[in-house]
Amino acid sequence: MSRSCRMGLSPPQPRLRAAVARLLRAPGVLLALLLLSSCVASSESVGPASPVLARIRARGRLLCGINGQLPGFSSLASDGRYQGLDVDLCRALAAAVLGDASRLELRPVSTTERFAALNGGDVDVLSRNTSFTLSRDATGGNALSFAPVLFHDGGGVMAPVASGITRVADLAGRTVCVISGSSNESVLADRMRRQGLPYTPLHFRSADQTFDTYLSGRCAAVSSDRSGLAARRSRFADPGAHRILAEVLSREPLAPATIQADPVWADAVRWVVYALIEAEQRGISRASLAARLADAQRDPSRADLRRFLGVEGQLGSRLGLADDFVVKVVRAVGHYGEIFDRNVGAGSPLQLERGANRLARDGGLMLAPPFR
Amino acid sequence: MLRRRSTTVLNLTACRRAVPLLLLPLLLAGCAPDGGGLQSAKIATIKARGKLICGVDGSLPGFSFVGPDGRYSGLDVDVCKAMAAGLLGDADKVEYRNLNSSERFAALASGEVDLLSRNTTMTLSRDAAGGNALSFAPPTFYDGQGVMAPTASGIKTLKDLAGKPICVESGTTTELNLADRMREQSIPYTPLKFQTGDQTYAAYLEGRCAAVTSDRSQLAGKRSSFPNPDAHTLLPDVMSKEPLAPATVNADPVWADAVRWTVNTLFQAEELGITKANVSAKVAEAKASTNLADLRRFLGVEGEFGKQLGLPADFVPRIIAAVGNYGEIFDRNVGAGSRLKLDRGVNRQWKEGGLIYSPPFR
Repeated sequence: MSRSCRMGLSPPQPRLRAAVARLLRAPGVLLALLLLSSCVASSESVGPASPVLARIRARGRLLCGINGQLPGFSSLASDGRYQGLDVDLCRALAAAVLGDASRLELRPVSTTERFAALNGGDVDVLSRNTSFTLSRDATGGNALSFAPVLFHDGGGVMAPVASGITRVADLAGRTVCVISGSSNESVLADRMRRQGLPYTPLHFRSADQTFDTYLSGRCAAVSSDRSGLAARRSRFADPGAHRILAEVLSREPLAPATIQADPVWADAVRWVVYALIEAEQRGISRASLAARLADAQRDPSRADLRRFLGVEGQLGSRLGLADDFVVKVVRAVGHYGEIFDRNVGAGSPLQLERGANRLARDGGLMLAPPFR
Repeated sequence: MLRRRSTTVLNLTACRRAVPLLLLPLLLAGCAPDGGGLQSAKIATIKARGKLICGVDGSLPGFSFVGPDGRYSGLDVDVCKAMAAGLLGDADKVEYRNLNSSERFAALASGEVDLLSRNTTMTLSRDAAGGNALSFAPPTFYDGQGVMAPTASGIKTLKDLAGKPICVESGTTTELNLADRMREQSIPYTPLKFQTGDQTYAAYLEGRCAAVTSDRSQLAGKRSSFPNPDAHTLLPDVMSKEPLAPATVNADPVWADAVRWTVNTLFQAEELGITKANVSAKVAEAKASTNLADLRRFLGVEGEFGKQLGLPADFVPRIIAAVGNYGEIFDRNVGAGSRLKLDRGVNRQWKEGGLIYSPPFR
């Protein structure tokens, strides 16, 4: 079954190959490739075809769309390199697909242009503090495919302590800075409408503009995800002068996204995220990886562990990745808990609590389905 | 364009032998560009047929079971009903097909059933395109594998099963887990494998096995239908995590989105306190107040969520009016209001410490 499907992908006759070459130059090429990949996807074959995976491999590096202006998630460090939780996912994906976390090009994309960048193929994946919502997921909306949530966030509001603003209701009649095209923009509008409070939103395309304007005093408050507010505040000259209101305006499940039209690639991204979570569940860290791998190789009775680390079975191949993709991922970035702590948690300036981002067994929402 | 498409079909000739012709329109639908032309071959087929064909287990109390009145009921059945209510406006427009573990994925892939709502664990190889190429909706029940033995046997832990026969359904993740756990603990045992759940439990009740293994919910469900439920004990060992989730084929993402957000509807309704009993009052409230923007959008009074998913604008109230919210479904079928009496446990709402969570309806 699988072989006959693959023949469809690589026509053996030169005449047909020429026809395919013509086809490749035609605008319908993406559709054709997608049709073929879906066909292979329906078979039982190992090593499914994906146009995005194919182009990443051909290019030799992964193009990852990031925010670039959000400390803890993706921002420039003093050495001129991007770092953060979102960046580490990009690195994990590069390690999984190309075997090397550094074969990566990070492309900052704005809130308003991010979905077009993904759909236009400017980036292979969006790892950019993006909330998983119905209209972004739906085919009749942005037609994205969301990976599992990487960070459960909530929408909030920050205001100067001196302003006396302590509740959302205190924003009545005031000006609020917000990033245009963000979830926070519509959430704040809904909330103010529900409470019957007039206010003036000031929209900006970039996070830097939004927060610079807030600091200049043109807005009474600024609305964004609470993690983002904490991250920005940590870099203010006087963080103590700003208060994040206690009210959580919305839930913001931030998740990586790919185009819906390439389910093979979406599957790969989904299981790379799950691999980070599963590694934490199993206590496999960057430091313990080599020893755990040796355990697995030595002991045939550790079937679960062997499959997870690719010592036996073909889990990686089924996703279009190397069978030991989990080893490559954990070696490059560690497990989810390590990534969290380093970038936004106890080991970072943000000092965010794990909260809903704890493992399920510890009361959080992070859980990986079985690697079977 | 026409010529180009026929070239594609030509290249697919080899494939067509393996993949039913039926799948081609699905493939085309899967590749429809975003925005406009929202198309799902599956949704079109279901609408034309006038009913949803739902693959269920059919003999699992609490999940899918035929009652004495000949009607199906259960948590998995309610997911089928929710889909039919949302899409067709009538929860009874469902044809149920009983599928055993070995035939379920083939039935889905061939298009014999539109949706699998059949206590199926989401796993990597089932999800992956190079495996079963399924698309999983959010889990509707987080389960774990357990073992049940006759109370009188004195079997209390896995170790007590050394050298004994254990009944297990073949082709299940349960079978693999059992092998893994016993291998890890170096406990020799004899698996007795059966094609169906009914055969498995019949053999267990006949005394052919010292114990039977399956998901704990399933064991509790089966036990409730035994002549003497108290004569059987669930061992404390939990051998695996089993997120049970509805599944569709990878090739029709529009349909998969509709199923995903139907499940999320059940979760979100519970979080908002919208029930079968109060949904019409909530709709009236939403219609009366333009200030309740998020409630209005959720209930389809404003916005275009339905349109974006290929569902009617009022799919959410239709679903809740038919089956209620997730908490009501859980209680009625497997929880406090059922014979199974399972605790909500990890199947509580996320705000109460559980894993039941819907992304925002925005």
